[in-house]
Amino acid sequence: MSSFSRIQPPVFPVSKVTIPEARSFNLRNGVPVYLIEAGTEPIMRIEFTFRAGLVKEDVPLLASTANIMLTEGSASYSSEELNSLIDFHGAFINSYNEKDRAGIVMFFMNKHIEKILELCREILFMPLFPDNELNSLLQKRHRWYQVNREKVQNRSIEQFFECIFGNNHPYGRQITDDDFSGINPKLLHEFHSRHYSPDNMAVIVSGRLHEKTTELLDHFFGDIEAGKSISKEINLVLKGSNERKVHVEKNGAVQTAIRIGSPTINKRHPDYPGLKFLDSVLGGYFGSRLMRNIREDKGFTYGISSSVTSLNLSGYLIISAEVAPKNLQMTIDEIYREIRLLQEVPAGSEELSVVRNYMSGEMVRMFDGPFALAESFRSAWEFGLDNNYYHRLWDKIMTISPDEIITLARTYYNTDELYQVTVGSK
Amino acid sequence: MIRFNRYTLDNGLRILVSEDRSTPLVAMNILYDVGSRDEDPQATGLAHLFEHLMFGGSVNIPDYDTPLQMVGGENNAFTNNDITNYYLTVPSENIETGFWLESDRMLELDFSQKNLDTQKNVVLEEFRQRYLNQPYGDAILKLRPLAYKVHPYRWPTIGMDVAHVENTNLEQIRNFFFSHYAPNNAIMALSGNITPETAIRLSEKWFGTIERRKIKHRNLPIEPEQTESRIITIESDVPSDALYKVWHIGPRNSADFQTLDLITDLLAGGESGRLHTILVRDKKLFSEINAYITSDIDPGLIFVHGKLMKNIDIQHADNAISEVLSGLLAPEGIEDEMEKVKNKFESSTVFSNTSILNKAVNLSFFELMGNADLINHEPELYRKVTRAMVTEATSKYLVPSNCSTLYYKSTNRKL
Repeated sequence: MSSFSRIQPPVFPVSKVTIPEARSFNLRNGVPVYLIEAGTEPIMRIEFTFRAGLVKEDVPLLASTANIMLTEGSASYSSEELNSLIDFHGAFINSYNEKDRAGIVMFFMNKHIEKILELCREILFMPLFPDNELNSLLQKRHRWYQVNREKVQNRSIEQFFECIFGNNHPYGRQITDDDFSGINPKLLHEFHSRHYSPDNMAVIVSGRLHEKTTELLDHFFGDIEAGKSISKEINLVLKGSNERKVHVEKNGAVQTAIRIGSPTINKRHPDYPGLKFLDSVLGGYFGSRLMRNIREDKGFTYGISSSVTSLNLSGYLIISAEVAPKNLQMTIDEIYREIRLLQEVPAGSEELSVVRNYMSGEMVRMFDGPFALAESFRSAWEFGLDNNYYHRLWDKIMTISPDEIITLARTYYNTDELYQVTVGSK
Repeated sequence: MIRFNRYTLDNGLRILVSEDRSTPLVAMNILYDVGSRDEDPQATGLAHLFEHLMFGGSVNIPDYDTPLQMVGGENNAFTNNDITNYYLTVPSENIETGFWLESDRMLELDFSQKNLDTQKNVVLEEFRQRYLNQPYGDAILKLRPLAYKVHPYRWPTIGMDVAHVENTNLEQIRNFFFSHYAPNNAIMALSGNITPETAIRLSEKWFGTIERRKIKHRNLPIEPEQTESRIITIESDVPSDALYKVWHIGPRNSADFQTLDLITDLLAGGESGRLHTILVRDKKLFSEINAYITSDIDPGLIFVHGKLMKNIDIQHADNAISEVLSGLLAPEGIEDEMEKVKNKFESSTVFSNTSILNKAVNLSFFELMGNADLINHEPELYRKVTRAMVTEATSKYLVPSNCSTLYYKSTNRKL
């Protein structure tokens, strides 16, 4: 072994991911179902997704409360029975309520598919929203809210959304103490029948699919009818605040949270894959410019990152960090300096190939296994996109040029338009 | 059932390989048998600070992260009381880069003052972010020294005192490396798209020439048995009162671990756990409550902690927890609940093992406890737990004389 030298082994380009196409069919009532066959274990993930997110609520907390209350009692089961049955069958339920969508995701072993689907039907379409459970949920959530308001991370992200989307739109509205007394069962029933209905619904199934999956889905969900209520569109305008810099003082905070960013394009825009690349260079991975500069060189923070997120009506880019107050201004200055560098100096070829390779590895991880596949499917599908979006993203990762990055940085990180939120001490 | 092959290099490095052709990725996990329990009480936080330094460059590779990102890889690490654990995932065609990187930092680190200074600051910010700048964040810092009087579990992984981290010098770092980081003190697991033959060939090539090192002998003080209940109260500007309780239990490999784990599931496994059902839903004393067991290798703890609803007396809430615990001694209805938590354990095992990374981390940990095969016997051990075992363990461990309690009171009376 004397001739052995510890030099880097050959680097092979990451082979392009193969993305399986989802099969689709409709239930009797027209609900679209997408099936993704993958995995080696007899387990499945079923997501029931509805256009029933925050954006649909005209009363604060309504969308999230309706979603959480789904498991608090149904026509045939009390809330205790529902939760015990889910646990007894070794299943896991994730309820989610996002800005645009809400729904549930069930993970379970194939042998229990029938019972699980029966429970899902109860949960999704026969909720009772009982008064007693509602009151205790609201009290609990109020306590959680009070705790979370004390965390500079939570406070700053809420303030950021208010700044970029405005306090009149559900995307930007901040919750207040009073909101916890504004929900009642009648509002929940109305919201539910309007938004948890077959015409707002899709089903995404993945795993080593049970042989009777399609017929069981049709059996349990094909006869659900659309609610009678007329859809009520909320036409509110997204309008950011005129104030670009907001500081919320929190006495005694030993770290101040920084959030810098702005509304931006979403996945439907042709520039989006390029913007994803630019975001990675800036702060999207451990070796990003912000991490190297602010954490690995200066030691100002435990972590700094940037991200780009798509929403149905908009999108946003954001840079986040928590730092000691004495390093606050220096950190902010460095963030703007890194943005300017991206706008003025072409990225070197070595950095570009690191980001290309890192992102192509990320894409392999995004399509590895039944659960990741379902998540990636949903996050393109909900914008009306298909796998072509991921092929375009892959091509952009492989081919983006330094000039393109400069143009994107000038277009989408216009420093005059960035909002800056700080929460903590100055 | 996880199938795997085992191999040990001449230098003592233990290797486990679990091949899975259904993924294009490979996960590589390296567990070093060193954690915060191995620290000098005068210099705590060193194991965790050291974990940060492992990314600052090694003897032949100035920067760990860039070459890994260059091959599409991703990595991270964690430190706890017992172990320091490093892991990465990478598209299988580039797994050799993982071997190159990990073997080089096992060989020798590039100990630089600049890196040490920066990472001290990063850890200090981590300390502020996790423990000081969160409501209730410091509860664990108060609770450990209440429960443990002599065993090193009395300090948290981040360190007993930030001054310990601030005062660390390069000499201590060098010594720590050479007395704990060695092939004969590590376990490597590979899981995913790699054959055992390739894994062994690459292990021989990259790790085979690293020499054994003399590992610092572990001789930890034994925590004396607790004989009476302990309680402290602190007041702080938090939104509501909170309550923390811990009870001593045996080590991870003791015969009643699975029983105690199921007890915490009966208490707080999911929405239908007893604590949640009785104290959150029915009596409305808590806004949230949780229970869990630590998987510490030395005698560990069972935790119960919750946040109180408005205007609830903390003593009353504490008594209500005791009542729920006593309820475990009554035979009524517990059979169905036991079936439920066993089913849940089984399915969570299946779900957890669909991730190649979880598989690699778990295999390494079970090998450290004596034999990676144990991982495949766990479900059977859980299956075998009886009602009598639950009753016995409850009355043996979950008793006041074995309990330490922290009342975390809010000074904020307006809520």
